[in-house]
Amino acid sequence: MNATTSQQCTGYDSPFGLSRRKVLQSFGMGLGSIALTQMECARMLHARDGILKEVHHQPKAKRVIYLFQSGGPSQLDLFDYRPELEKVHGQQLPDEIRKGQRLTAMSGNQASLPMVKSPFKYSQSGESGQWISEVLPNIANIADDICIVRSMHTEAINHGPAVTHMQTGSQFPGRPSMGAWLDYGLGTENDDLPAFVVLVTKNKGGQPLLTRLWGSGFLPSRFQGTRFRSGQDPVLYLSNPQGLSAEARRQMLDRLKDLHELKLQKQSHPDLESRIAQYELAFRMQQSIPEVTNTADEPEHTFKLYGEAAKNPGSYSANCLLARRLAERGVRFIQLYHPGWDQHGGLVGGLRNQAKETDQASAALVTDLKQRGLLDDTLIIWGGEFGRTNYCQGKLNGENFGRDHHPRCFSLWMAGGGIKGGVTHGETDPLGYNIANNGVHVHDFHATILHLLGIDHERLTYKYQGRRFRLTDVHGEVVSNIIR
Amino acid sequence: MRFVTVLFSILIFATHVSAAKKQPVDFIRDIKPILSDRCFNCHGPDANNRQADLRLDLKEEALAAITFEGNHVIWAGRANKSELIKRIHSDNPDFKMPPADSKLELTDEEIELLTLWVEQGAQWENHWSFETPKNQTPPKTKNKAWSTNEIDQFILRRIEEAGLTPAKQATPTTLIRRLAFDITGLPPSQDQVKRYSNNPSLDVYNKIVDELLADKHYGERMASTWLDVARYSDTFGYQVDRDRYVWPYRDWVINSFNQNLAYNQFVTEQLAGDLLENATDSQRIATTFNRLHSQKVEGGSVPEEFRTEYVADRTHTFGTAFLGLTLECCRCHDHKYDPFTQKEYYQLFAYFNNIDEAGLYSYFTTSTPTPTLRILSDEQKKQIDVAEQTIAKEVTKLHKLANAANPDFERWLEKREVTSEIIGLDQELTFEDAKTGANKSVEGKVGKGIELTGDDAVGLSVGNYSRNTPFTVSLWFNTPDIKERAVVFHRSRAWTDSASRGYQMLIEEGHISVSLIHFWPGNSIRVRTRKTLAPQQWHHLSMVYDGSSEANGLKIYLNGTPADTEIIKDNLYKNITGSGGDNIAIGQRFRDKGFKQGLIDEFKVFNRQLSALELQHVFDEETLPNTLATRATELNAEQKHELKQYYLDLFDEAYGNQLATLKSAREQRSKLLDGAQEIMVMEEMKTRRKTFLLNRGAYDQPTESVATATPSIFGDSSENGNRLTLAHWVTSPQNPLTARVYVNRIWQMMLGKGLVKTPEDFGSQGAIPTHPKLLDWLSTSFVESGWDTKALIKLIASSSTYRQSSQASADELVTDPENDLLTHANRYQLPAEMLRDNALLVSGLLVDKQGGPSVKPYEVAESFKPVARGKGEQLYRRSLYTYWRRTAPAPVMMTLDAAKREVCSVARERTSNPLHAIVLLNDPQYVEAARKMGENLVKAFGNDHQAAMAKAFEQLTSRVAEDAELAVISISFQQQLAYFKKYPDEANKFLSTGDAPRDMNLPADQVAAMGMVINLLLNYDECVVRQ
Repeated sequence: MNATTSQQCTGYDSPFGLSRRKVLQSFGMGLGSIALTQMECARMLHARDGILKEVHHQPKAKRVIYLFQSGGPSQLDLFDYRPELEKVHGQQLPDEIRKGQRLTAMSGNQASLPMVKSPFKYSQSGESGQWISEVLPNIANIADDICIVRSMHTEAINHGPAVTHMQTGSQFPGRPSMGAWLDYGLGTENDDLPAFVVLVTKNKGGQPLLTRLWGSGFLPSRFQGTRFRSGQDPVLYLSNPQGLSAEARRQMLDRLKDLHELKLQKQSHPDLESRIAQYELAFRMQQSIPEVTNTADEPEHTFKLYGEAAKNPGSYSANCLLARRLAERGVRFIQLYHPGWDQHGGLVGGLRNQAKETDQASAALVTDLKQRGLLDDTLIIWGGEFGRTNYCQGKLNGENFGRDHHPRCFSLWMAGGGIKGGVTHGETDPLGYNIANNGVHVHDFHATILHLLGIDHERLTYKYQGRRFRLTDVHGEVVSNIIR
Repeated sequence: MRFVTVLFSILIFATHVSAAKKQPVDFIRDIKPILSDRCFNCHGPDANNRQADLRLDLKEEALAAITFEGNHVIWAGRANKSELIKRIHSDNPDFKMPPADSKLELTDEEIELLTLWVEQGAQWENHWSFETPKNQTPPKTKNKAWSTNEIDQFILRRIEEAGLTPAKQATPTTLIRRLAFDITGLPPSQDQVKRYSNNPSLDVYNKIVDELLADKHYGERMASTWLDVARYSDTFGYQVDRDRYVWPYRDWVINSFNQNLAYNQFVTEQLAGDLLENATDSQRIATTFNRLHSQKVEGGSVPEEFRTEYVADRTHTFGTAFLGLTLECCRCHDHKYDPFTQKEYYQLFAYFNNIDEAGLYSYFTTSTPTPTLRILSDEQKKQIDVAEQTIAKEVTKLHKLANAANPDFERWLEKREVTSEIIGLDQELTFEDAKTGANKSVEGKVGKGIELTGDDAVGLSVGNYSRNTPFTVSLWFNTPDIKERAVVFHRSRAWTDSASRGYQMLIEEGHISVSLIHFWPGNSIRVRTRKTLAPQQWHHLSMVYDGSSEANGLKIYLNGTPADTEIIKDNLYKNITGSGGDNIAIGQRFRDKGFKQGLIDEFKVFNRQLSALELQHVFDEETLPNTLATRATELNAEQKHELKQYYLDLFDEAYGNQLATLKSAREQRSKLLDGAQEIMVMEEMKTRRKTFLLNRGAYDQPTESVATATPSIFGDSSENGNRLTLAHWVTSPQNPLTARVYVNRIWQMMLGKGLVKTPEDFGSQGAIPTHPKLLDWLSTSFVESGWDTKALIKLIASSSTYRQSSQASADELVTDPENDLLTHANRYQLPAEMLRDNALLVSGLLVDKQGGPSVKPYEVAESFKPVARGKGEQLYRRSLYTYWRRTAPAPVMMTLDAAKREVCSVARERTSNPLHAIVLLNDPQYVEAARKMGENLVKAFGNDHQAAMAKAFEQLTSRVAEDAELAVISISFQQQLAYFKKYPDEANKFLSTGDAPRDMNLPADQVAAMGMVINLLLNYDECVVRQ
């Protein structure tokens, strides 16, 4: 290997003679690395691209687990206790409350908009006495660990734009997702795993999810989330072809390396050096990824905590457990998606079912991380893309009613990673339609998450098409009241 | 590590600054980028955001002798008297620029450069890319022998100035391999390699260039790049992401490149092919380019919001693809960096805002969003012409029969029977029954009527008429108020969710409209009353249709006489049935506005077009018997005329037969048309849609109205032009951007990166060209050549610059790490398509068919939204034809850095990622290719494994293996052979990867081991890297 060549990349780190971690980072496994083409090397030199050399302030969280409840969970039936609705049940939504807001074209043309009370009982939980609906008994048990934000709001009224807004800070496609921003900004703590992993509950209907939700937008694609599948190959084509053993693969890779080194002896090529390392890393990933996704080594009490469903790969419970294993191994951003919260009709049964699928494992994850001492620096977020209306969609008859999309207020909860436990933040009006105080916009939510990770949201930027973009666009205020 | 980095940076900057001291600061290269990036945000083109009323993007303002708190902003030659210089040097937070809250900073080096620039006289130039390219004379070089053509003089001049030398020419095998991939996306033939290796002369080389450019695979290679630009996708995108029929556009692109369509024409046809004189179908299909953006269907979306997005996407794509401008920036406010106002954005937007389209496509039907072109063969077109002529003939016959003297009529007139019954009643609702469900039974016009809730439809059991069936619907109607919109009745599945397919009567801003619709708005007929109907009184309404599919065959009768109406739409060319919602429903429709508190009575549906007499009768319930009872001698002319029509319709045999003949002629036309495949294209609306400047870019905040115009920075623009005017403006030789932007992308395709390294941004914040004069020379020559793409590629391919080796010297890697000077060729991994196509070709699996519907190879079954994979041929077509699902594209292609194609994209990233290795090692497509090629080799070479491996190496790298290399491969073969011998079952498993049948007569262990050799070589640097 030519000495000059290796110096060439020493500006950043040669793949050889340096820590494995650095090498890994070079391959998009981690912090925005340092890919090794000539062009990229040079780009790194003029390090203006905004990759953070150090965080902006002392971080409270090192990683994030985002339990995304896709479809728009009904805040009025889960966290936002509005007893006033019992009095006005069946009455028309007053115009002075609606204030001419645009409704979706689904219920917007309905001639009648009767308000509807929650069919569920609420009680106060924990020492903090937070109001939580009866359908979430396990989350009620961790009430003192979580902060419920009842005053989230967004502009988006349909799933596509709303989920995209929550995940990327913009309603329209093209921006990087939050996990990509963090990967770009902070990188990874684990050499052999991606920094941003996505887990989607399998076999759920509901509104479709899109790969761009964990995409890198205009950031280089190495920052995009890696979705672990629930089948045999968590990563596309991770397993060797049928009939080929690991040893046979190793032998073949050794010869490939020999062949590459023969070429390197004749000519020095930084990119060829990186190619050699790339194959070594691929081989290691073939071990490290199955190691993390195979939960057979978990003791029985783990499955008691998360629920029997955790033994079924691809279930929400199994994904929560996998999230903990990934967090333990230093994965920066773990994004779960659980679809099915779109109760336009049949809300009573539908919501109970969703709650049943998610309640125990969500609470278990918080408890488990707490027991392992990981809750302090792991931020957990539970929430969807918007709320649901206080009025009924379609006909109000019996338990079959539904609620339409509602952007003006919705609830989510956060725990760990510097968030105050046992706190309810923000309030909606007595009818649960508008925010009464302490509104938290999607951009504020993003600014707060970045703040917890030690990042000034205005200073994590990427220049694209001549403009500096950031997760929070030109908005965002950190919600300091909920931070420890 | 950081220490090293810092040290390194200082060294670099030190060199930079001292260089700057030696030579004059160059405004375009050194200063403009700093001003733009750090200052324009507050002191640039955006008027709303401008601070201190100061502009630094305009020479007149920046250098004006105006004083700013006692100082000039920039005083040429007097840095210490210049406010700008003082402020950038200041430590005072209230004074310092850029201010702290901008979160922007200047480095010491940049401060020094700015200072030097002012000291040296503050030389100023307009932004380079907005000036028309000049005719450049190729510069003289010291080395006279190296250059092959003018390109090389420009390149060599800079290499010499830097004290460097160009690399030697690449080896013949490397060069031909590079050339073949660059031009056709496939490896060279062995014959081409041999011919050039035997005689590596420029003549032979140029001949091969010509061969490759004439190869039909050239068009496919070019198309795979252009499809990124066109954001091509086989599905609609957004959430639901259904399939759409757009592949004929892809084939148009392939053919256009293969036919070497001049680039100006290529651009013109895509922007405005429909507006060309006697536009051909092919030219119309070219305009599908403008419809390839994502489209929405999600229930509950606001159509206008998304329609606005579509037009915006067209505008942005136009900006990026042809002009290299970031127009998206001025959708919400004036551009922060480039001299484009928000108003100018909407003037461009206006060109693309004039097609009769919907904001949502149809959820419940598969109708193609309008405007559309029907894909018809010449034979079909001929048949349709015949059908149209037949209809015209039958209509004439019918009119003749109606107007001819008719003795039968006179006879009938004498012995007619008096009746008040109207023939053809399919269903009647009188609402006398009190069973009304949620709606209310109230006093009606005649006895009881019904008051509607607006949320509860009254359903009928009839109404599923085709567009060839005449029919009449009549009713009494009473609205409580002047409604903005309400559904009186309809026969359809839904509103936007089925694009309103069917027919309907609506209240629109108090007017009554009736429509027949295949896909609203572009494929429909609609007429509307000119007057609004007074609320709180009864009106009698009839919708009368004659089966003609024409707006003038659709009438509204108000209180028994024809209402004064205007035609809103007159373009129905497909069926109105087949969407579900087969029967008429009154007062409510899925997700539409119901007729809240509206009153309806005496609702009648007739399966024929009622005559004037009958239409009067359904209103007054007396005209028909009265007229029939009137003695012939007492009938006035009008009555007689009306009776004649009544007679013809119901009693005249010849007329009745002719009506039936006409209907069957129309049905014949429907048979030909209703099943015809359609494709989305551009087609201007007759009345131009108004375009408004949208506040903050929001669809619901229109402000001033704007007309079409091109940006003023480029000189005068004729207002009120259309897309064709725009296409002419873009392809004018005077346009400073179009040729440069395209030539730059061809350069990028051939050399690995553009002369402008930001091919998407030629504006102020973009990179400046590494060789501005070369870019100008190439652009002007390209235009002079008649925008000849093949000639441009040949020119580049023949240059000494292109033909260099990719081996860089150690010096160059340090002094020119990005290879800006092009002292050698660039090395990079082949694009996703080429990696796969190569594997398919060498293994003999490639199905080399051109064009047609997209195909579904193995990988689509593994995507995030898996779809069933295809079989047979579908697995082995070139990757260009792989089904592209916008929200979950082919996963292996995505892993291998294919563009996402969400929006127009003009360059692909190149990453180095272990996931590349994983798919190239394990993807069944590649494993199958490896085992098939292994099988072919074992079949051809038998036990001579050494020869088989030598052959394999040559096929996969285009060169002969060296002994040492062959030795390594041999060891690998022996190791794998030993493994498969030991585990014969495993060999069988390995050989059953993929669908391609296996030759059972060959020894499994040998074939498997040879397959693994190929698997190794398919991952070898020289197979996957373009070098």
